[in-house]
Amino acid sequence: MSGALQSPAALPMSAALRSFAAQWQTRSPDSLAAVRERAMQRFLELGLPTIRDETWRYTNLRSLAAQSFVDAPRKPRSGIEPNPAPSLLGESGRAAPLLMVNGYPSLPAAGGAIEGMEIHSLRELARVDPNALLRFLEPLSDADQKRWGLLNTALFVDGLYLKITGRVALPLVIQHVATGDGADNIAYPRIIIEAAPGSSATIVEHHVAQGEHTPLSNSNTQIALRRDARLEHYRVYATDAGATHIDSLDIRQDQGSECKQFTIVLGGGLVRTALEARLGEPGASLDSYSLLVGHEARHVDCVNIVTHGAPETRSTQTARAIASDASRVIFNSKVIVEAGAVHAQSQQSCRGLLLSPTAEIDTRPQLEIHADEVKCAHGATTGRLDPDMLFYMLSRGLDRDTAQSLLVYAFLADVLTGMSVASARAAIESALIAQLPDSQTLRKFR
Amino acid sequence: MLKITDLSARVAGKDILKGVNLEVRAGEVHAIMGPNGSGKSTLAQVLAGREDYQVTGGSVTFDGHDLLALPPEERARAGLFLGFQYPVEIPGVNNVYLLKAALNAKRKSAGEPEVDAYEFLSLIRQKMKLMQMSESFLTRGVNEGFSGGEKKRNEVLQMLVLEPKLAILDETDSGLDIDALKVVSAGVNSLRHPERAVVLVTHYQRLLDYIVPDQVHVLSGGRIMKSGDSSLAQELERRGYDWVMESQVA
Repeated sequence: MSGALQSPAALPMSAALRSFAAQWQTRSPDSLAAVRERAMQRFLELGLPTIRDETWRYTNLRSLAAQSFVDAPRKPRSGIEPNPAPSLLGESGRAAPLLMVNGYPSLPAAGGAIEGMEIHSLRELARVDPNALLRFLEPLSDADQKRWGLLNTALFVDGLYLKITGRVALPLVIQHVATGDGADNIAYPRIIIEAAPGSSATIVEHHVAQGEHTPLSNSNTQIALRRDARLEHYRVYATDAGATHIDSLDIRQDQGSECKQFTIVLGGGLVRTALEARLGEPGASLDSYSLLVGHEARHVDCVNIVTHGAPETRSTQTARAIASDASRVIFNSKVIVEAGAVHAQSQQSCRGLLLSPTAEIDTRPQLEIHADEVKCAHGATTGRLDPDMLFYMLSRGLDRDTAQSLLVYAFLADVLTGMSVASARAAIESALIAQLPDSQTLRKFR
Repeated sequence: MLKITDLSARVAGKDILKGVNLEVRAGEVHAIMGPNGSGKSTLAQVLAGREDYQVTGGSVTFDGHDLLALPPEERARAGLFLGFQYPVEIPGVNNVYLLKAALNAKRKSAGEPEVDAYEFLSLIRQKMKLMQMSESFLTRGVNEGFSGGEKKRNEVLQMLVLEPKLAILDETDSGLDIDALKVVSAGVNSLRHPERAVVLVTHYQRLLDYIVPDQVHVLSGGRIMKSGDSSLAQELERRGYDWVMESQVA
């Protein structure tokens, strides 16, 4: 693309930064070029976040910074296997999933539609109606939790814009397939969801990997809920142990809108998820659920920042973290109640369960309140399986593995029971159980 | 069936049991009574295999096998059941799941096939009726939100489903009103059988009006101080535990 990009002279660019700048040079200018260039410039100036940045304290990207990256292919040489992972809609899933390969949607040029929803390609939208898109790309932010979002804005080539116009009866599954042709690939999936006033839908983003090489995925999803709109949104990570995933989710809610959000980490090697929500008008409400499963050497870093920007807004955050083997799970959540957001209500509940002496869980619920008459509660506990519960079950003759698995499963129940898509819940339970000890026994009890 | 010889145990660095001797034969009902802190519950927990309770001496055989060598789950499968004084709540684990898992664990170790779903349900319904429990208890989490009395009924329900050879009921009567006490007692009595035995750990004589024991023992200071037939319980009720202590000293 155009633009002579400059890096601050004092700081030598890391290999990763140099490779991102090189990717930028390969992009053809489009109608978003001005904002993209500013995003790229800002990103190069600020650099990759480090452990000195507030929301990155627990995740060190030093080794990632030393690597060079190239764009993941638009289509893998081998083609996409028809069903690369169990569908979250089960075998009898009625709506065909939308496929996105390395961020490129498989859509007819004119886009698609299902009852109550328009589906557009971002590339096409940038061509025909750039203003519709630009309002989602700006303002740019310097915040460290948005750093990778700047890079996504600069470099995404295509993506999906979903406009929910009515009541969508069936859950829509977007299957993100990450598949590389080398170890150094990166993808920039981008999704924008806008729910018109009074509309409702359920959208599941399911991240899976295929093939030998899984690209680093720098994904970004934005959700805007207009007045009284309702959305249930899932992001599920089921990639392989070698995968690195950096995902940002941004939610804006208008008056009376309701959002239920599930972040489910069941895969990947390094998974970083950020959720930023702004309840900008009275009556907006958000229920966020996080189910973070650390397995083997997985590193999961989950950051939630929820801002109450108007009176009578309500939010809950329910996080359940499990760490086994040598895994590490981090859950940071912050609730900000701005001045004037009177009668805001928020609740943060975070519980961690350690299943091995080499695993680690860090939780940090925070509250920042600038208004009077608010009701905010938070709690965080981390521990091992309750010995009294375990003894009780053993004393009834259950073997130790079964008893432990049942207790682990019970620990997650608060998140699982919140899911209203029965088929997605069943599929998530199956995948989850596979990562627990004694999975065969547990299956019988579902 | 159960033979306890000179059993000593320590909890959190403190010696609680200091040489308990007791023999329970098939078909018998024994009551272990005693003042608070005498070691009654510790004895029950040690027999069930609680791991943080340290056995420091003595032996226990169950049907001739070394009970103390078995982990808790194998003691259960061998036919030992502990009714807890304070049954723990396990939210998220379905009550009926636990019952079924427990029953199947026992059947598996006996070389029997898993219980058929229909057969299981009719068995549960029948036992719940006896315990006067509503079926809604089945789908709730184990003891979750149960009142004290409901928890105790649930313990007895589990016992009736598992049909243990030896049931140790730790203060199953405490916190029960008179109606609940009758229901729980009927449940326990329904299990009486020439090949089974029951050990009732209790603080009060009241339970023994409904479940008449063959032998009554007074546990105090970590030892059995006195044993007798059911009339001992009535005497204790009349004269208090101090009487036993004093008569020992004398």
